[in-house]
This record gives sequence, C-alpha cells and structure tokens, in this order.
Amino acid sequence: MNRRVNQTNRDVLSIFRFIARHSAYLFFLLFCGLSILIMQLQRKETLDAIRVRSTELNASVSEQFLGFGDVFSLRDENDRLLLQNARLFAKVIREDTALRDTRDLNGVLKRDSTRVGRFFVARIVDRRFSPMDNMLVINAGSSDGIEKEMAVLTPEGLVGRVTAVSQNYARVMPVINKDFKVSVVSDSSGTLGVLSWKGGNEYLAHLENVPSSSRLKVGERLTTSDHSTFAIRGLPVGRVARISGSKLFSDVDVRLAVDFPSLSYVLVSSAKPSREKLEIMNGGETKHEPGRK
Amino acid sequence: MVVLAILQHFIFSRLVILGASPDILAVFVAYVSVIIGQRTGIVFGFSAGLIAGFLSGNPGLAALIGTIEGFISGFFHVSPESHPTMVKKRRMFYFGAATSIAAGNFIQTLLSNPLALPAWVRIPSVLIIGTLMSMFLAVLIYQLALKKILRD
Repeated sequence: MNRRVNQTNRDVLSIFRFIARHSAYLFFLLFCGLSILIMQLQRKETLDAIRVRSTELNASVSEQFLGFGDVFSLRDENDRLLLQNARLFAKVIREDTALRDTRDLNGVLKRDSTRVGRFFVARIVDRRFSPMDNMLVINAGSSDGIEKEMAVLTPEGLVGRVTAVSQNYARVMPVINKDFKVSVVSDSSGTLGVLSWKGGNEYLAHLENVPSSSRLKVGERLTTSDHSTFAIRGLPVGRVARISGSKLFSDVDVRLAVDFPSLSYVLVSSAKPSREKLEIMNGGETKHEPGRK
Repeated sequence: MVVLAILQHFIFSRLVILGASPDILAVFVAYVSVIIGQRTGIVFGFSAGLIAGFLSGNPGLAALIGTIEGFISGFFHVSPESHPTMVKKRRMFYFGAATSIAAGNFIQTLLSNPLALPAWVRIPSVLIIGTLMSMFLAVLIYQLALKKILRD
C-alpha cells in the first residue's frame, strides 16, 4: 500500500519537474494559442468594436501629426472649394448618367438616374500601404452620416469603400487592396466585368470575367455598374490600358483613374444601391461579405 | 511598453523603405528575453504585440509575432549566475535580437500580405531590409541607453 502511495507521489513529482523544466515551452504554446484565438475572434463583434475604437484613437493622433503642416495652408478655403467641387461632381455624375440613359432608349424610363445622393467631403488623416496594413482613415464618421459600405471617391474616380466607422472617423479599403472587388461597365461597348487589384503597380488593376468575344477597346472608360453592391452606377474607375487575348476570357489591364500616392481629400457618396436589389442579388437575404463587389 | 507601442505605431512604422520598417518593440522584447529570461520574454512579447496590434487593428497576428520573438530571443538568455561580461551580454543581445526579428518578420510576411506582393519581393524586402533596419535601431538603443543600464 505504502509502496503504491510512494509511486504515485513520485509520478506527480516527475510531472511537476517536467513542467518546471519545460515551462518556457508551455508558456510559448499557451501564448501562441491565445494569439491564434484572438486572430479567430478578430472577426467577432466585440473585437470589431475594439478595432473601431483603436481606429478612432489612431486617427485622432495621426490627424494631429498630419495637421501640423496645415497651419501654413488655407484649410478652410480648401474645404469650401472641395464642397463646391462635390456639388459640381454630383451634378456631373447625374448628367452623365442621364446622358447614358438617353442613349439607351429604355434607360430613361426604367432606371432611376437621379439617385446619386450627396457627397461628404473628408480628409485622409492616416494611410498605410505596407505589407502589414493597407488602408486609409478619413476624418468623417457616423456623426457625419458615414456608414459602412459607402463608396469613397474623388472627382477623378473610385477610391474604395468604407469598412469600419467610429464616431468621427472611418476606415476605407482602397481599390489597391487584394480583397477589393467592384463590378464595372465600359463606356462605349457596354462590356461588364469585375475589377480587382493583384498587387504590384498601384496605378494598374485587372478586369476579370471579360469574354474574348467582347468589343472592349483600349482607352475605353470604365465606370461602376448596376451590379455593384456598394457603389451607385456611373462612378469613374479607370481606363482600359491593355487587352491580351486568351481562349475564353481576355486579360484586361485597367489604368486606375485615382492617383493614390497623392490622395489627400476624398468624397464619400451617401447613395447606395437599393436594399431590395441587394436582397435579390444575395438570393433573398442581405449579407455583408468582405469580398463584395 | 505602451509608450514604445505608440512610438512604434506612429513613428517607426512610418519609416517604410521598400515595404519594411524598423520594429522597436521587437528590440525591447529581445532585450527582456535575453537579460531577464525566456518566460518573461514570451509574456512581454505577447503583451507588447497585443498593444501594438490594437493600434494597428490586427492584435492576433501582432501578439503571435511578439510571442515568437520573445521565445526565440530567450534561447540567447544570459544567466546572471554565470557572471557574464559586457561583451557577452552585448553579443547575446545582438544575436537574440537579429534572430527573433528575422523570425518575426518571416512569420509576418507569411501570414499577412494586403499589398498582394509576390513572395520573391515580399520575403526579401521585409526579411532582410526589415531586420537590418531593426538591428540598426537595436545598435543605436544599446549604445545610447542599454549599455549604461547593463553596466549598472
């Protein structure tokens, strides 16, 4: 009996000795596990809220950093001009869309060409184009009427879409992010495709799903199409730069309209595709997926 | 640690050269791990990564990288019982920092690629340039501050 108790004690002691000897490894495994757990939880709402708060903190500090140089610039004047620019841009988009609809005989009657909404002007307060992070932060948030999935643009073209919103700031996923996709249509031939960015040059994107039989030409302007789940149609995206043929689908390079390195102000479009349309496109239910078009 | 995380996020991570930036937190974690011990290094690495991750929006990955950095640099731990010389402490700190930073950068390039850079560009740029920049920072910090602390 005593021998058995001694044996058990020795076993327990040896387990403790093993743990003490390899505690660093156990610590390592424990913290790696915790990190992986956090990586998994990052998609959950609690951590999403923490990320929104960190965006707010991050943006407000970055704004102070960037705002230092504004002492010497005419910021108010600039804002006023940008607002005016936004109004004019809304008008141009509206008229451009109406013109396109007029060309299409059924367009004017069937489509609601006046749904361009209004544009909010926002300043970029933080930007990161590094292998770790690729995003923009703008100084407009939910208190200004910004919502998730709104389209962000400049008068030159589409910049990206809003992915997270705090009270005063919003995080924007730019077109030059590998997770970004948008449905586009060409100006003259009416060719539809999905625009995405595959890395490398920040001026060039790629157009997918273009059949070889399409009449798409080099130099044709591409705008967002009716199929987009976050942007209204008619927002300029870029121009076709190169078309190389293959058996079924063409390989199309698109020169983006926006000059990302020099971006400082953006417009956020309040107009969104109708909810009913999204529900139908998603097969009866509205979903918010990261790779939406 | 919080101050270092803020410095890293708002200053050092902006010094991007060919997609890589220096990492002051990794230098700090390497120092703790080499001088105090591997377990403390792991805890500090995890915490430092978590704080930095909350600022950048990716706490899980940053915490994982910090943990790995703390673990690896812990193999270069200088035990005070061995009465190490300053030269040994310095050498071990540099070795520990270089190895752990390189490993951290490698894990980062494997698990995160938002710019969709091809592997042949991403790995050399982040691994070599990132490690060199961080090591430059490590040498600078050692000469300016750590040398005095270790001597005392």
